[in-house]
Amino acid sequence: MGKLGAAGKAGAVGKPGAMRGLAAVGRLRAAGRPRAIGRLRAKTEGIIVASDYRLARHRLLYVLLFGGLAMAAVVALFPVVWLALSSFKGPVELYRTPLTLLPDQVDLRKAAQVWQTLAFGRYYLNSLWVVAGAVASAVLVNGLLAYGVSVLRPAGHKLVTALMMGSLMIPPILNMGPLFRQIVALGLIDSYIPLWLVFGANPFYFLIMTTYFDRLPRALFEAARIDGCNGLQMFWKVAVPLSRPILAVVAIFAANAAWSDFLLPFLVLRSDALQTVMVKIYTLQAASATMQGFGPDKLLMVLVLASLPPVALFVLFQRRITSTVATTGLKE
Amino acid sequence: MSFIRRNLAGWLVMLPGLVLLVFFVWLPLLSNVSLSFYQLQGYTKQSFVGLDNYAQVLRDPQFQRAFLNTGLYVFWSIVVGFPVPIALALLLSEVIHLRTFFRTSLYLPNVVPGLAAALLWKFLYDPDPGGMLNGLLGAVGLPPQPWLSSPTWVIPLIVVALTWKAAGATTLIYLATIQSIDATYYEAARMDGTNVWQRVRYITLPSLAPTVRMLLVLQIISVFQVLYEPLVMTGGGPNNASLSLLQLIYRYVFVRGDVASGAALGVIVAVALLVLTACYWWATKRAGHHG
Repeated sequence: MGKLGAAGKAGAVGKPGAMRGLAAVGRLRAAGRPRAIGRLRAKTEGIIVASDYRLARHRLLYVLLFGGLAMAAVVALFPVVWLALSSFKGPVELYRTPLTLLPDQVDLRKAAQVWQTLAFGRYYLNSLWVVAGAVASAVLVNGLLAYGVSVLRPAGHKLVTALMMGSLMIPPILNMGPLFRQIVALGLIDSYIPLWLVFGANPFYFLIMTTYFDRLPRALFEAARIDGCNGLQMFWKVAVPLSRPILAVVAIFAANAAWSDFLLPFLVLRSDALQTVMVKIYTLQAASATMQGFGPDKLLMVLVLASLPPVALFVLFQRRITSTVATTGLKE
Repeated sequence: MSFIRRNLAGWLVMLPGLVLLVFFVWLPLLSNVSLSFYQLQGYTKQSFVGLDNYAQVLRDPQFQRAFLNTGLYVFWSIVVGFPVPIALALLLSEVIHLRTFFRTSLYLPNVVPGLAAALLWKFLYDPDPGGMLNGLLGAVGLPPQPWLSSPTWVIPLIVVALTWKAAGATTLIYLATIQSIDATYYEAARMDGTNVWQRVRYITLPSLAPTVRMLLVLQIISVFQVLYEPLVMTGGGPNNASLSLLQLIYRYVFVRGDVASGAALGVIVAVALLVLTACYWWATKRAGHHG
């Protein structure tokens, strides 16, 4: 599994100067005319390059490629758009035939009403609290572990790497019974502690950080040691300041994963007042058939409310997220 | 003394992580292996029964069904899900208009929480004539379909939902590999007068081969862990036609309270994954020796 990091060596996925926006669409519409294919003429990298685009059949091929990609983007976006639009529909409107995509009215009061009836604010805060602890433990604990293996390298440190990689091959979820019993034995039912700490031993975060720490110049650590820093001080004063971008990436991934986590919170959080958004959604969908006044249209609104934070996080950091996925092979 | 001094700091720094690694991963694993050989009352060992729990799981029709289903999940995820990211990466690397827009849109489904995505697709697959996909079919004059209620189609349809969610991230990994291919290969190929398809066939695809092998193994491992989708989309139905191995472990342990069977099944799946990983190592090593 050590090859994960080798998935891609190209640092930046985006090429500088990539044209965005409507101008590009306009250009494509005119792709048939030689005058309008300027950008293709400048294409020097990849399988098909500028000289190929002198031929009309290659320009036609480009239109087909663009069309294929546009269709894929529609397939990727459509369910999300459908969800967002349908969440405003009423219970009858949702199942009306013939199908309509746009809701009769977009009334944000429906969102507010669903939020209030379910007292959703509480579950939101619970989830945020779980996310905060999970992010801290993901960054700090895995960070220290990676720093130990990569920089301090005490005798036997390879054992740690082996234990981590083993958990990559044998997913811990297979042992959910004994794990649950351990949590019960420590009296951690209805506690957020296991939900935070489970993020402290994650092979993906460990791997992404060891790969990064391995590339930091050793001389800096030597200098810090000569200045009298001990192991922990070097972590705070050298490793962390130099690794902010990668720590941020781990934090973003952990935030997303903790927000979306379901099985362990579902097993651990028993009382309703402590439940996270995902646990609440699961109990809601199971109950929605019998619950008075909570139809499928309201469940759709709940799904929107539950998906907003990770989508917002993605919109804010999309470049950093997509380029990290590409170069490290880390998928959530 | 100096040996201890030299190494103590390192181990102290790693201690919290090690404790968590043992608590959340290795202790449950070892105790699962051990529990699987005993007759249990709750989690308390009653008597050593050797492989009886395993034999019992293997005889359970639900296990046989879940095992077959996992084969089907893997099969369909290779047929449906595997070529998609490769094709998308090729398109993304060649299309130069709206690059950021395409990359962002294709990745977006990945950030929708797994549980919400599964429920969203359950809505899309609604068998009611007013369901989303049935509405689309109706618009072109086709009759409504049962979708997830069809035992034949339930697994491929779940795989479509899985692919929708996961393909974007995999695409980006392939894209990085494609973009790291040395441009001089293509130049040389153009000098030799190759057409576009030949360049893809003889340069791009061979360069992708190691990534393809790695992601294939990772995908199989992740398909073995399918849980949320059958849990919320179908409950494992119709008639266990979409029951997954992980869902069966969950059923054994938390629905039936049969910890021993859950432990045995967990070990069976772990061994299957180890064998798969070993096959992967063996295949890549052999490929390495032969150039």
